[in-house]
Amino acid sequence: MRLLLHISAGLIVWAAGFSLLYALHGLGCESGWHQRPFMGGTLFRWIMLSTWVALCLATLAIAHRSLRLPPGFTRKVTVGTAFAALAAMAVTGAPVALTSACL
Amino acid sequence: MSALSRHKALDAIWKAPSGWRGTIVSVNHSDIGKRFIIAAFTFFAIGGVLAMLIRAQLATPNSAFVGPDIYNQLFTMHGSIMMFLFAIPMFEGLALYMLPKLLGSRDMAYPRLSAYGWWCYLFGGSILIASMAFGVAPDSGWFMYTPLSSKPYTPGINADVWLLGITFVEISAISAAIEIAVSILKLRAPGMRLDTMPLFAWYLLVTALMMILAFPPLILGSVLLEVERAFDWPFFDPTRGGSPMLWQHLFWLFGHPEVYIIFLPAAGVISTVLPVMARTPILGYGWIVAAILALAFLSFGLWVHHMFTTGIPHMALGFFSAASALVAIPTAIQIFAWIGTLWNGRPTMKLPMLYLIGFFVVFVLGGLTGVMLAMVPFDTQAHDSHFVVAHLHYVLVGGFIFPMLAGAYYWLPHFTGRWRVPRLGETAFWLIFTGFNLTFFLMHLTGLLGMPRRVYTYAPEMGWTWLNLLSSVGSFVMAIGFALFVLDIALAIFLARRMPRNPFGAGTLEWAMPVPAPTYNFASQPHVRDREPLGTEPDLALHLARGEGYLGQTRHGWRETMAVDTVTGAVDHIVILPGNTRLPIVTAAVTGCFFLALLFGQYWLALLPLAGVILLGWRWAWALGSREDIGPVTIRPGEEAPIHRESPGAPGWWGASFLLMADATLFASLLFGYAFLWVVAPGWPPPVLIEGGTVPALIAALAAIIAALCTRRAHTALRAGLPAAASTALLGAGAQAIAATALIGIGLTALPAPTGHAYAAACWALIAYGVLHTVLALLTAAFAGTRIRAGYASPTRALEAQVARLFADYAVVAILLILACLLLPRWLA
Repeated sequence: MRLLLHISAGLIVWAAGFSLLYALHGLGCESGWHQRPFMGGTLFRWIMLSTWVALCLATLAIAHRSLRLPPGFTRKVTVGTAFAALAAMAVTGAPVALTSACL
Repeated sequence: MSALSRHKALDAIWKAPSGWRGTIVSVNHSDIGKRFIIAAFTFFAIGGVLAMLIRAQLATPNSAFVGPDIYNQLFTMHGSIMMFLFAIPMFEGLALYMLPKLLGSRDMAYPRLSAYGWWCYLFGGSILIASMAFGVAPDSGWFMYTPLSSKPYTPGINADVWLLGITFVEISAISAAIEIAVSILKLRAPGMRLDTMPLFAWYLLVTALMMILAFPPLILGSVLLEVERAFDWPFFDPTRGGSPMLWQHLFWLFGHPEVYIIFLPAAGVISTVLPVMARTPILGYGWIVAAILALAFLSFGLWVHHMFTTGIPHMALGFFSAASALVAIPTAIQIFAWIGTLWNGRPTMKLPMLYLIGFFVVFVLGGLTGVMLAMVPFDTQAHDSHFVVAHLHYVLVGGFIFPMLAGAYYWLPHFTGRWRVPRLGETAFWLIFTGFNLTFFLMHLTGLLGMPRRVYTYAPEMGWTWLNLLSSVGSFVMAIGFALFVLDIALAIFLARRMPRNPFGAGTLEWAMPVPAPTYNFASQPHVRDREPLGTEPDLALHLARGEGYLGQTRHGWRETMAVDTVTGAVDHIVILPGNTRLPIVTAAVTGCFFLALLFGQYWLALLPLAGVILLGWRWAWALGSREDIGPVTIRPGEEAPIHRESPGAPGWWGASFLLMADATLFASLLFGYAFLWVVAPGWPPPVLIEGGTVPALIAALAAIIAALCTRRAHTALRAGLPAAASTALLGAGAQAIAATALIGIGLTALPAPTGHAYAAACWALIAYGVLHTVLALLTAAFAGTRIRAGYASPTRALEAQVARLFADYAVVAILLILACLLLPRWLA
């Protein structure tokens, strides 16, 4: 089981991060964060952007660590899933920067 | 011992009695697997007949063949049967039959659970089918959207049949998922590492884990909707703080992973059959495993793409649209690996290969329209049209039925020991392939011309007439193809010539045994060194029949199979499996009575079968075990291993852990629902919050903590050989009773009535969950205590106390979270 968790680490972080972004989105819209100006933007946009960037960095760190594993099956699978998680985090979170908020 | 006398000795231990008695008591995985497959195909035939009735109705405009009420039942039952009674059970049947053989094992980890799952499936499926005969079949569509399925709009029992029948069948699915996961992780042949497992096992392992995580939201949704319908608790009623969107979220949290749960086992079949047809090892084993994992995770991030037109904000649409498009990449990696394998090998155009080519054509088309529908603007246009019907059939038929038909022909000699009648299968293929494309390709066009799904008729001036007529003709061509397939299989079973072992020259272990397979699979279990043991050692079957592997000698009439370390495949222990018993069918029948009592609104009467299930569960667990330590036993000359009862990593512990994982997912879904209602539903904050309840909450928390500590202490004391273990476990059970009473006290003294607002209903649902888990923890602790007293436990035989500890730990965490959900809103207000 530990091996399964190990080779899925990047994807687990993606799943948790994706859920977090969706939860923050619901909470932020309900709480009116998008109507509160903050540092030239809105509180909502800053919270979403910073969370996304932090999550991307976390998956990047996992992907980077996976490259240091010794060659073999575990490395191949871990590298594959870690980079898949990094790409998924970057792409699925990108709407926080690209789309309108709470519309 | 000669090979023949070994066969006789093993068969005497593993076989079921002949006749009806054998049918009732058999727990053998080959028997149960074959029953699942036959029943699933029967349900497929029923679903197919319903599809033909649908197509007969739509063949011409203004048709009077069936009216709207019957039509609603037809399409609802068609979808429900195909998803719940055909696709999942078919793959479960294949897994139950084939998995131990591929893994070099003699049976699955929990044979009685296999049988229980089978009977639940049969009884639950029969309830659904019987409802059609009585004219009360579900009629709100296979995803049962509220408010259409709520009491005011579906006052009859049609929706209840679906909610209770499907939940009953889901018990079977969760049982199978846990069993598959534990069997793959523990019950492999010695030496088989995770990276030397057949790819089919990887696919099934990931699928089983997905089922453990995906099915609980649907079970929760079904329970909540049934409670709303039965007791008027307004979870989905927007006039009282509920939300129909909550149902959609819970349903699709299950529903979208379900598509991949159906596809992945079929992809496992492809990864097994295709390299044999191409006569070369599969390319990119490691990358395929990575792609399966990526696909599994991403599939849980797509559910909202079924809800793009419900008014969800753009940003959230963006998250799910991106994930929906992205999931095509790991799927494509597998497709390219399969194409590369074909390119690398020397493919032979046998019938399984023909079906695989059919799969490539149909599934890739379905995948492409899937990417189109993942784009919000296109989906907004095509939503709920026949374009979506075409897409989902291309994905599901292409991604499941074509590979399964390839598998059927590939493994047919394994099931029957016979070859097939030439050419009939090829004719069936071309009829199915042509009929399918004629039916569903044209539906893309009717959809783009604006034909909505689920309309029972249309006017001639809409311009859909010819397309619909041709679709209907295609569906009948396809049906004739399936009829030929059935005929072909029947002829193969009864008339075809005998065939030699391993006719396709495969390298996997299922062919290292006589065919049809003996009851015990392997006369002795192999030691596996690579991914294709039969390829590197062609005489392996002979060596195993001579008893040169593990467990080549019988003893005490035990059904023995090897268990290994989950990663390295090193020998861990021997599992002694239970033999034939009536317990599964009796327990399933009593479970069925519980669901029937609920269906007919006899709620107090339902307590009787519920008590029966508890008693039978107790008996179920009590029937195993021993009053003395046995110590290590011989597994082959010069090697010994302990039995599972005296080993800490026994399958029982793994099964309990996976069950709690499913349980935790259900709890997380409940917490999600509670949070969703707070944030999104209209009419919140609720007009009345909890008043008081702090004292019973403190008692509940304290009692649950004490109970968990006692159960932990009982386990530790047992391991240390201290006499206080039994009484400490029983003390833990008593503390659980206090926790349950205190939880009920919070509801009765502090919460408003659950019918007034979704807030109160959700709080009561949380309390019910907490009470249920304190009762479960109570029962497991009481069981452990009683078993210790009766002498069934010792410092080395401590599994039951270990499992009780798991349940107590889970209960205390759940109760603390529930109390936080109940009390925090009041304190924050």
